[in-house]
Amino acid sequence: MTLPVTIIMIEDDEGHARLIERNIRRSGVNNEIVSFTNGTDAMMHLFGADGSGLVQKGNALLILLDLNLPDMSGIDILKQIKENKYLKASPVVVLTTTDDSQEIKRCYELGCNVYITKPVNYENFANAIRQLGLFFSVIQVPPAAS
Amino acid sequence: MLTVISAGSVYLVNEARDDSKWVVHTIEVENQINTLLLEIRRAESGARGFLLTQGADFKADHDKAVAAVPPALDRINRLTVDNQAQRDNLEKLSAAIQTRLGQFAQEMDFLRQGQPDKSLALVREAAAANTTTTIGSLAAAMIAEEERLFRLRSANADRSQTLAASMTGIGSGLVVLLALISVWLVRRSARARDDAETRLRDANLNLESTVDERTADLREANDEIQRFAYIVSHDLRSPLVNIMGFTSELEELGKDIFRRIGGLTGVPAGGPPVDIADIPLDGPDKQMSADFSEALGFIKSSIARMDRLISAILNLTREGRREFQPEKIDARDFIEAIVSSLAHQAAEAQAEIHIEPLPNIVSDRLALEQIFSNLIDNAIKYLKNGVPGEIRIRGRTKLGYAIFEINDNGRGIDPKDHQRIFDLFRRAGTQDKPGQGIGLAHVRALVRRLGGTMSVSSELNAGSTFTITLPISWNASNRNADK
Repeated sequence: MTLPVTIIMIEDDEGHARLIERNIRRSGVNNEIVSFTNGTDAMMHLFGADGSGLVQKGNALLILLDLNLPDMSGIDILKQIKENKYLKASPVVVLTTTDDSQEIKRCYELGCNVYITKPVNYENFANAIRQLGLFFSVIQVPPAAS
Repeated sequence: MLTVISAGSVYLVNEARDDSKWVVHTIEVENQINTLLLEIRRAESGARGFLLTQGADFKADHDKAVAAVPPALDRINRLTVDNQAQRDNLEKLSAAIQTRLGQFAQEMDFLRQGQPDKSLALVREAAAANTTTTIGSLAAAMIAEEERLFRLRSANADRSQTLAASMTGIGSGLVVLLALISVWLVRRSARARDDAETRLRDANLNLESTVDERTADLREANDEIQRFAYIVSHDLRSPLVNIMGFTSELEELGKDIFRRIGGLTGVPAGGPPVDIADIPLDGPDKQMSADFSEALGFIKSSIARMDRLISAILNLTREGRREFQPEKIDARDFIEAIVSSLAHQAAEAQAEIHIEPLPNIVSDRLALEQIFSNLIDNAIKYLKNGVPGEIRIRGRTKLGYAIFEINDNGRGIDPKDHQRIFDLFRRAGTQDKPGQGIGLAHVRALVRRLGGTMSVSSELNAGSTFTITLPISWNASNRNADK
């Protein structure tokens, strides 16, 4: 049996978080979604008080990450996740307003799995999220390395 | 001043020379009078010697002296034409001398006739008649007169010489003084010039550093604005996503609500359940639904517009940060490629595009492509309705710059809008074509970054000419080094 995948959403804008959650739910994904509105809390949750990431050992995670956070850069979080031996296998979906090609390239280089630009056109946005939901429902997320 | 002094001294020297001439003249007159007296004495003594000794020597001597008297008289006469007193004296003297000469002649005659007694008597008579004394006193008077004149004239000469000398002295003194003053003035002005030069050099150095400083400030301000524009436009997007998202949610919700209302009002109670969507709204409910949709429609279109504007700013700031790569560009091939990519629009607008000879340049290809395709696209877009378009692309070089002109026979731009069309989000003329008012602002920003300038000359309904001046060889270091 596989562990249910927990979706970690790191998004400072609560409106965006709500829209993302709604659309994920609409696409039929019912996994638990844990939301964080700032980088510090999210890091605490992911890496634990000692910063080793040991707390997530054995958990299957999928991370939705916004790059513009009030307290730190999403790029830094992405980098640390991909450098941590317990977390690096977890897929990371970067969701941001920036469509700057340099930044997209940078994210992929750091190991981001999917990069989604939040379009203002809501239909596109909803579609993107729903497809992401479908993607969630078919991918096999490995548990954090044991 | 010096001229006056030198003229004065020349005049005085001349005066002195005149005066000395008069002195010399006086001396000469005196001299002549003495000579005359001497000759007369010689004649007299010759006559006496001859009378006493009958010697031929004395006779010859006497004759010679007598012969010398009239020329001497003559000379004195000539010399004293200027002096009336002397002339009077001279006349008397001449008369006396003539008398004496007559006596001499008589004496000689008597002697020749062998009557020495008679001549002796004549000599005595002459002595008694004081002819000789008269001559002596007259001559003495003349000499005295000349002495007086001599004193007067030498005093005159002395005075004018002193004057001339002092004039010359003053002149020399003045010359020396003036020379000193001019030396001082020259040195002072030289010093002032040196000072000014030093100040100028300092000012130049200051100016350069000030310019550098200002340039750095400007660059910083420019970077700041770019960052600001980037961050603002970026951060404006986040709330916009929410507004759009929840507006769409509201729209869905609205549909649900009105469907529900329709279901509640339209379905007769107790009837069989029907699909809510099939129930039409009636009267006021329908109106409400329409109003609701209309409001949401305006909100959504405004959001879409705002998003386009924000995207435009983002693109502009992104362009502003892109590094340019200069490369050699064959202008004709380059423009032809752009024109062929716009061929469809051109054909639709019945526009013909003529490419005249163009200078090749070294610049950033992508930037140039955006510049020219924007301008040519505009030329095609804003042609006059019903008039076949004619677009010309010309080029020439001047002083290291390539000048390109894009000329059309289109609707033209009112001169009062010439500045406005280059502003972001501003447009001019009839608004019958889609557009955001970004193209020209973007083009001008690019031209500026490429170290060039652009301008427009146009009249309403008389076509437009956009002129772009770009450095023939754009050097990446121009700007990249600045960063």
